[in-house]
Order: sequence, then structure tokens, then C-alpha cells
Amino acid sequence: MSDHHSTEKGLFPVSRRGLLRAGLGASAFLAGPFIRRARAAETLYVNTWGGPWEVAAAKSLFPAFTKATGAEIRTVSPVSVAKLAAQIRTGAYEFDVTTLGAGDIVRANETGLIEEITPAISQKLGLWPDAVFQNGVASHAFSTIIAFRKDKYPNGGPQNWAEFWDTQKFAGPRSLQRYASRVLPLALAADGVPLDRLYPMDEERAFKSLERIKPSIRIWWTQGPQSQQLLRDAEVSAIGMWHSQATALADQGAPIEMVWNQAEIDRAYWVVAKGTPRAELAWQYIKAATSPEALAGFCKSANYGPLNPKAFDYLTPQEAAKTPTSPEHRKLAFDQDTLHPGVDLEQVSRRFDQWLGA
Amino acid sequence: MGREMLGAGHTSPLGGEVGAGARGRRRARSPLPHGYRPFLLLAPLLVFLAAFYLAPLGQVALMSVTDPKPGLANFIRVLTDPFYRAVILNTFGTALLVTALCLALGYPLAYLIARIGGFAATALLTLVAMSFWTSFLVRTYAWMIILGNRGPIAQSLDALGWSPPPLLLFTRLASTIALANILLPIMVMAVYAVMRKIDPALTRAASGLGASPAAAFRFVYLPLSAPGIVSGSTIVFILCVGFYVTPVLIGSPREQMIAGVIGTNIDEFLAFGEASAMAVVLLLVTGAILAAYHRFLGLERLWG
Repeated sequence: MSDHHSTEKGLFPVSRRGLLRAGLGASAFLAGPFIRRARAAETLYVNTWGGPWEVAAAKSLFPAFTKATGAEIRTVSPVSVAKLAAQIRTGAYEFDVTTLGAGDIVRANETGLIEEITPAISQKLGLWPDAVFQNGVASHAFSTIIAFRKDKYPNGGPQNWAEFWDTQKFAGPRSLQRYASRVLPLALAADGVPLDRLYPMDEERAFKSLERIKPSIRIWWTQGPQSQQLLRDAEVSAIGMWHSQATALADQGAPIEMVWNQAEIDRAYWVVAKGTPRAELAWQYIKAATSPEALAGFCKSANYGPLNPKAFDYLTPQEAAKTPTSPEHRKLAFDQDTLHPGVDLEQVSRRFDQWLGA
Repeated sequence: MGREMLGAGHTSPLGGEVGAGARGRRRARSPLPHGYRPFLLLAPLLVFLAAFYLAPLGQVALMSVTDPKPGLANFIRVLTDPFYRAVILNTFGTALLVTALCLALGYPLAYLIARIGGFAATALLTLVAMSFWTSFLVRTYAWMIILGNRGPIAQSLDALGWSPPPLLLFTRLASTIALANILLPIMVMAVYAVMRKIDPALTRAASGLGASPAAAFRFVYLPLSAPGIVSGSTIVFILCVGFYVTPVLIGSPREQMIAGVIGTNIDEFLAFGEASAMAVVLLLVTGAILAAYHRFLGLERLWG
């Protein structure tokens, strides 16, 4: 045994155990101050988008929860409905809480992947009116907007989705999110459907419209940071991306312009994984994460619009004006209607995926 | 032939009967013929593989015929739907192209390393190994920069007057180049492993008997190195067919490969059954290639 150990020392300057300890120390350090090792009695596992999103959550949301409950948080990323479904099949819960957009939450709720918000729970959480949608608690709003490179369009770029589709007038490669329920309404708007009449959607018209833009779409982005990279490195000249990502890019000094006209508003909801043994703690987390001050802090760091109205008490008028739900942005934008889309979103998503691969 | 007979006599029941009574008694104590005893050492590995590899694999196979309902609907869809057919064709097309590229680039390099020997060969082999040890994710991102709109290739073309330069990223060309780069070291190692066992005296003998250098290579060296070509190509092709990250990150969205489509099926559509059916098809194809290899060359030679 000692022999074995010495050969090991010969290969590595430190013992394996030392390395392991160093590794653990480093990962604990990287994971940030909100993870305290080997102390708290309880741990809650939260599914996050990772990256800057998680940094913002770790700064504002997680401490509010730990302060209220004494329990610690570990994170799992990225957000995955597939994992949410898989852990219910297997009964092994990798995370207890996750965040879903308006499109996914309807599907998750209908297929029984999330815990129900009973009147008792609703009362315990002390929620504001309209806080609950499809058994999720509203957290924040974000928009899909047009962003373009000013150096590619020095005389001004596309100002609405019809112009985004107009590759004669605004030549140059494009990108859109690979996400049917967000892209189809944009295709209809581009085809001249008024914003208040997008729903119920005309599926055939949407695909016909998409056919026109398809040759100009170099890549259909799937991750927020990817959409930033595409525009920052000028791989595309114009892109439909989340306002939060575009704001961060503009703040870094990239020569881009954001167009709030015809912005498509989506909302993120906190949900509890169906059947998790830590549901009680999970609801307490959601209560903390949607409390006015914590949510306002999170939204300020990640450029979101808080959906708890009381959170605006903690935003300056300038900060409130930058949110996608501010009065001047709101009047230019439209809401998604994932509850009554007029099409079978599941089936349309499949059609969309096969369509873009053809 | 003689060795085989010896081996058979040692372990077969007949061999046991021929032996004296002492051997019979010893065998009675052990449930296994003692020629198989070393295989007991494999038990931990077998248990590990059964629990963490075979069981999940069985579950995937089961899901492919039971999710969402029992039957072969998933397989019928995967094998007849024009979309899937295009994906499968594209996957095998790309894998063939990548294999050919790896061979065209890897064979001469392996030949050079095998012929020069000494320090230069060690240095070259180290370079190949270093490329092999660099994470393929890192190499994929490197290709994203190299092939990007502002990368060196596009900039040089632009400077030479090709303006605006062609879009290289997110095309089949991009994923083919990157995959060839990622899998090239495997080809080089497989071919080199065979080449270094080729006796240089053989080509010298061919020359001595009047063959031109080209003829000596064509009729002596090439056939001797053929097993390396076949095993290198087999490994590269199989790895390429199942590659996930690189085609997804830098390939064309219009020419997807199987692994990426399996990922979307699970991630976006929660279609575990259909994804499992594709995975089973992929596994069967890989198995068929390995079986063919075994039939003609013997699997034990796959790794040189």
C-alpha cells in the first residue's frame, strides 16, 4: 500500500486525496458563497439557466431564501423540461424547482409534471392577484425583440418583423430562436397580421411566411449566450433575441440597436416538480424568490421586468422604464397566448423542427 | 493448429477425463474448470457493466417498443419518414466523407512517422497525441473562431478580393472539417500501429528484385498496411456516425445528424420512444459494422 502510494507521489506532486480536496475546495469557491458545505440540515435543488442568469439569482434570490429558511441551495442547469419529465418517471429528483416560459408551462401542466397550487398553498405564499398561471408563480417578463448591427445598417435597420423578413431592403444573414411557439407569431406579424389578431394562429400562413425568411436564416439559435455571440461576432446582421441578452450586449459596447416595436412578451414562472419530497421547501423558495425586494434585485441584474407589482417599489423610474413591461414598451408589444394558440403547439413544434431540417 | 489443440485439451471435459484422478478431485471443489478461473477477475467489471451499461441499454431498447404505446410504430416512423431518412443519409454521407478525409490526411502522416523513426517520429507522435488529448469541445470552439465571419480564413479571402467572404460556419463543410480534425489522431494511431510492425526489409527486398519505389509501395507496403486502414476507418466511421456536439454546434441546421436529432427528440418533444428507436438503429448499424469487421479481420485486431 505504501509502495503504491509512493509511486503515486512520483507521478503527481500531491497525493490523490490532496488533489481531490483541492478540487472540492475550488468547486466550492467557484460555486459561490451561497453554497455552504456540510452545514445546513436541508438542501433545495433549483434548476437554473446557468451563466449570468444564475449569477443574478445567486445574488438576490438565493440569499432571501436561505435567510428565511436556513436551508441551502444547490443548482442544476440548464433548464430542461425533458429532465423534469424524466425525474418523475424515475423518482430520482435532480431538482425540486424549475423555471418555465409560457409555452412550456402549459405543456408541463397538462402532462402533470408540476405540483398543483392549491388555495391553501396560494394563501400561504401570500400571492398578488394574477400571480398564478397554469400552477406556476409568475416571476418576470422578457421580450423577443429585433436587434441589428449598426455597422451593417448605417442608415437604420429593420424596425418591425415585416422589415426583418425583407431581405431585399435589409440584406444580410439572420437568426431566430429554434422555438416554434415564439417564432410562428413573428412570422404572422411579418406577413402583415395585426398584432391583436395573431391568435388564434393561422398555421399554414405562418409556415408560408417562414418559407420566405428560411434561406436567410444562417442558424436557429437555441441558447441565450449563443444569440449574443452570433450578433457580437457579426455572424448575422439582424437577429430576433431576448431583450435581456441584447441589453447586456449593448452594455458591453457592441454596436447594436434594439427595436422595441412589435416586441413579443413572454413570462417566466416558478414551478415545483411533481412528487418531489422537498415540495414544502420548494414553495418557501418560490415565496422568497418572488418577494418584492429579492425579485427587484434579480431583475435589475438580469434586465428583466418583475411581475410582482410591489417589486417596482425597489426600482428607480429609470430602471422601471427599461423593463419590457414599462408603459412605453408595453404599448408597442404583444403578449403570447400559449393557452389558446389556435394550433396544437406540440404538433406544430414537431412540424417546425422537421421543416427547418428539410 | 497445434496450439489450438493443446488449448482445447486443457479445458475440455475430455481433457479432464484423460487426466489423473487428482485433477478430477480438484475440479470437484471448484465449480469452474480451472482454465476459466482467471476470468473471475473480470467479475467486478462485468457487474459494473451490467448495472451501469447493459441495464440502461435494455431500458432504452424497451422504451423503443413501449413508449408511448407498445408496438413497432417508433421503428416504422424512424425508418420510413422522409425526414428521418434524410437525417440518416446525411449522417452516413458525412461519416464517409470524414473517414475518407482522415485516411487521405492520416495515412501519409502515419507512413512518415513509421519511416523516419527516431526523435522526429517521437515528436510527431507527441503532436498527434496532444491533439487527441485536447477536449473535442475545445477543438470545436476553436473551429468556430477559425471558420467564423471574422476568422482568419474569411479575412484572408476578403483581403484577396472575395468580398463579402463566403459564410463558412454553420455549413456541412464546417462540421466535416472539424470532425476530420477531431478524429484524425485516431486514424493516424490505428494505421501507425500496423505500419511499425512491417519489416522494412520487405520493401528493400522488393527493390532488390527490381521493383520501382512506387511498385514496392503498391504491391508490398500497401497490402501489408491494409489492416490498419480498415481498422482506422472502422473506428473513425463509427465514432463519426454517433458524434453529437460538433455537428450541433457548427453544422448546418438543414443537414442534421442522428445524434443531434435524438437530442432534440428528448429535449424538446419528450419523445423518449422515438429517440430510443433511433438510438437502437444507431447501435445496430454500429454492431453490424463491427460484425463485418470481425468476420473478415477479427475484432481483436481493431486496436492494432
